Amino acid sequence: MIARWPKSLRFGAGIVLLWLIAAVLAPWLTPADPYAIDLDNTLRPPGGDWLMGTDHVGRDVFTRVVFAARIDIWMGVMGVLAPLLIGVTIGLFAGYFGGLFDSVMMRIVDITLAFPFLILVLAIVAMLGPGITNFIIALALVAWVSYARLIRADVMVVKNAEYVQAARTLGFSSPLIIFKHVLPNTISPIIVYAMTDMVLVVLAGASLGFIGLGVQPPTAEWGAMIADGQAYITEAWWVSFFPGLAAVSFGIGLSLIGDGLARMLRIGDT
Amino acid sequence: MSEPLLKVCNLDVSFRSRGGETHAVRNVSFDVGVGEIIGIVGESGSGKSVSCRAILGLLPESASVSGRIEYSDQNLLGLDTEGLRRIRGRDVSMVFQNPASHLDPLMAIGAQVSEPLIHHQDASPTQALDAAIERLREVQLEHPEQRVNSYPHELSGGMKQRVMIAAAIACGPGLLLADEPTTALDVTVQARILELLKSLNEQHYLSVVLVSHDLAVVAQVCDRVLVMRHGEIVESGDTKQVIYSPQHPYTQQLIESQPSRMTIRPPVATDTDTLLDVSNIDVEFASPGGGTMRALNDVSLILRQGESLGVVGESGSGKSTLARVVMGLVKPKSGDVKLRGQSILQKRNRLDLSVCRKVQMVFQNPYDSLNPRYSVYETIAEPLERHKLVPATKLDERVAELMGLVELDSSLASRKPAQLSGGQCQRVGIARALAMDPELLIADEITSALDVTIQAQIIALLNRLREERGLSVIFISHDLTLVRSFCDQVVVFQSGRIVESGAVSGVLEQPQKSYTQELLLSVPTL
Amino acid sequence: MFLKVGKRLGHILPVLLGISIVSFGLIQLTPGDPARMILGNKASVEAVEAVRERMGLNEPVLQQYGNYMLNLVQGDLGESLRYQQPVSELIMQFLPVTGFLALYVIVLTVPLTILLGILAARNRGRWIDQLIRMTSVLGMTMPVFWLAMLMLRIFSVELGWFPVSGFGTGFVGHLHHLFLPAVSVSIYLIPVLVRNLRAALLEEMNADYVVASRSKGLPEGYIFRRHILKNASLPTLNLFGVLITWLIGGTVIVELVYAIPGLGTLMFNAILGRDYSVIQGLTLFYAFSTVIITLVTDMLSALIDPRIEL
Repeated sequence: MIARWPKSLRFGAGIVLLWLIAAVLAPWLTPADPYAIDLDNTLRPPGGDWLMGTDHVGRDVFTRVVFAARIDIWMGVMGVLAPLLIGVTIGLFAGYFGGLFDSVMMRIVDITLAFPFLILVLAIVAMLGPGITNFIIALALVAWVSYARLIRADVMVVKNAEYVQAARTLGFSSPLIIFKHVLPNTISPIIVYAMTDMVLVVLAGASLGFIGLGVQPPTAEWGAMIADGQAYITEAWWVSFFPGLAAVSFGIGLSLIGDGLARMLRIGDT
Repeated sequence: MSEPLLKVCNLDVSFRSRGGETHAVRNVSFDVGVGEIIGIVGESGSGKSVSCRAILGLLPESASVSGRIEYSDQNLLGLDTEGLRRIRGRDVSMVFQNPASHLDPLMAIGAQVSEPLIHHQDASPTQALDAAIERLREVQLEHPEQRVNSYPHELSGGMKQRVMIAAAIACGPGLLLADEPTTALDVTVQARILELLKSLNEQHYLSVVLVSHDLAVVAQVCDRVLVMRHGEIVESGDTKQVIYSPQHPYTQQLIESQPSRMTIRPPVATDTDTLLDVSNIDVEFASPGGGTMRALNDVSLILRQGESLGVVGESGSGKSTLARVVMGLVKPKSGDVKLRGQSILQKRNRLDLSVCRKVQMVFQNPYDSLNPRYSVYETIAEPLERHKLVPATKLDERVAELMGLVELDSSLASRKPAQLSGGQCQRVGIARALAMDPELLIADEITSALDVTIQAQIIALLNRLREERGLSVIFISHDLTLVRSFCDQVVVFQSGRIVESGAVSGVLEQPQKSYTQELLLSVPTL
Repeated sequence: MFLKVGKRLGHILPVLLGISIVSFGLIQLTPGDPARMILGNKASVEAVEAVRERMGLNEPVLQQYGNYMLNLVQGDLGESLRYQQPVSELIMQFLPVTGFLALYVIVLTVPLTILLGILAARNRGRWIDQLIRMTSVLGMTMPVFWLAMLMLRIFSVELGWFPVSGFGTGFVGHLHHLFLPAVSVSIYLIPVLVRNLRAALLEEMNADYVVASRSKGLPEGYIFRRHILKNASLPTLNLFGVLITWLIGGTVIVELVYAIPGLGTLMFNAILGRDYSVIQGLTLFYAFSTVIITLVTDMLSALIDPRIEL
């Protein structure tokens, strides 16, 4: 089955799988303790004992990059899953039944979309207080609208398809029609979008970490680690460089999966 | 006969794709004389459109073309892009099937008709626009001076096709290639467009190649006809000769499949009990521009058991809306639908199985009417399982029985719709409806997307089901000849109203209303 | 036309109302007493009470919203506790810098997007298309702040070509100072737009009316310019509108890295200092600009496409 996947999908899945393995096996793959401060060895360049050098308090950058994958992947998955479930449920029912529920939901979507995504997330996190849980809550409050809008548009088309009309004339109940006939035929673009969205979420999470609203020190997270290195960018580029590279490679993996899925499912033209 | 205008010799077209090469056209040769109209007839995949497009080099890059195509002694296949461009629109031009998608939605129609004049005759935009108005007048578009500034979406389908023809004849070409120019149009509009082509041919000595799936259309206007199948010409000759004494078995099959030639003996309804009673139905839809649009206006009809009732009318006349009202998919504003004397409008909304089972429907679009993720087996088994119509142990047996009933090979059970032909999909749709064991089957344009030979098979199947099971049928169709050969009773729809109704023999042989007469006159027959 | 715009303005009124409710509601999200959050745990009860009074927090929620709306229609977004200045004044003070940056990005982005989009579509599947696609994926997955820091180190610190931070003085100074920030944002923006334009172009290139134009003997270049490009510009125009609104908010982080005194910096400082009225006011302002930009985009689309009714 994998042999039939497009090249980009196989490649992307490979990258993401590597990161998943790294995250799970982090303690066994890394030489040091991600939190061990060693003030005798601060800002050591890459090489020798330190594959990616050390940071301003002497922590091993490689170890922290691998451990950070746990947080960033968790953020990505939860940050996509929560809005996806909320958005798909609302969009599915609003699109299929229409009426007042649909009108109200679509007004809420319009209003939410009026706010620039990052600004609204930032504002909500600023009010709730920093931290990953609050970031995911903010995402759930904001990002569901994209999923709802996307699936609603498809549901509006599919519900008028003759096979759905046929299901109605066969006397099937609405929930059955929605979950057996409508959902399976509208979910593919959502899955593809979720991959692109996960890149966005990981980037947004890293951005929050960068400005200090995401994970709190000393937890290892790519964005926060890049921020740690900002002050030392002239003398110790590696402190920021490697976490960034990690984020980019993970993002590329997700993008390629999205591209490949879109191609395999023939959504849009890539 | 003088030297032909167009000579096609040994034309071969194949398409490269990842799965290898497909041969679309093999060894096709024909010629077109000055002022001649020739027709190319064939079913889908016969290579008729491909041959036509090959003449002007309009095939996609994946096509490889060989042979000779000579237009007044010039080999078009030997020309480079620029040489070909000079021929296109000036000497040879083309009109296409779907006028809506073949016009640029963002450009006023006057400009679209002017374009070839500007590029071929160096006309200034104002000169070209004046000439465009003349051309639009020539194709009988009303008020061309005002219409030039209209955009395609503001015109009806027939008007758009006239615009496309005006653009095609703008530079006074010698040859017009018409690829299914009337297929997307209603039958009365089709008749007028065919008339227009004929008059352009007579007035300007314009040669025309008319490509169509409809033998009757071709027979009506063409001097000579070519019959194509699987990329090859199987028969060609004088139109009358081909139609009255076809030599090739395929041509014979094609002619026998014509609705007007079909030999169907509909069973005579013996039971005269009223099965369905539709009374005074009004349906209103919210129209996009605000306000309401009346889709059905005081519609009443009666269907007796075992009868086959034809519902005819042009697109938008409300015939499909009627089907959806009976099926409970559309709620009428007023009126009632009674099945054996009991109102079913209210019950429909509560998913009453006793009503659902009695009335079933088959839809128009073969591929759209089946869930693309379900196999044939799953599609047919779903209602049986969901409503527990057979015990679980008998499920496989019953599905096999239903597939046999619609003459579907049991080896197809595990296939998904994408792996089936259009005709097979429709059979699955019929089997799914029969799973409920209905008394009344509503068939909504079920053959309009199918080739004519397949159509004949589906109609024969439907007829057999009527005979064997005493099934009553409401047969919705835009094709009067089809209704004439299959139905006992008929109602004629126009703009949401029934204008005429009665026995087929009466209404379609001696129509009383002028609209029915016009419809009948517009239908091309062999 | 004016009537249509008026009607359309009528449609956005409910959205504006919703926006005001959301920005007002933001403060309700704070866990606990906002006044206490502002002043910290050590502040006296009296001080907290004074701030509550000043922020109007002692009144019922509905009345608070009423007051908020009443002030809003008069252009009063409240007062910053930190700067001791009306929020609207603050926004006007920081806006020009962000506005300059946004325009700069647009000027860099639009020509490159059109060029690369056309190049990719016309050479579909060839190496140049693949290259553009690969670079696009890279551009879209790079954290903006990371890229900004790396560019800062290379071009400012090592090569000394550009200033390390700030807005500079004079038009040329602004251009010089904001070059790297604008490039950092464009590197994210261009791939998104190029992908969209490429897909739209490819779809239009296969449209039926293109074959019909060809059958009329029109030159390929003309067909591309007059028919394909125009039709393909519609979806990209819409996305561009969305991205401009993204741009206003998306510069927050870039402004931080390059220490540019724009709205993003104002937002960041307000978040750090729990300056709630500034956060509320800015969020409202961002949303309002989005609504205006969307309106303008829709009007532009209607100018190009006769089928669209406002």
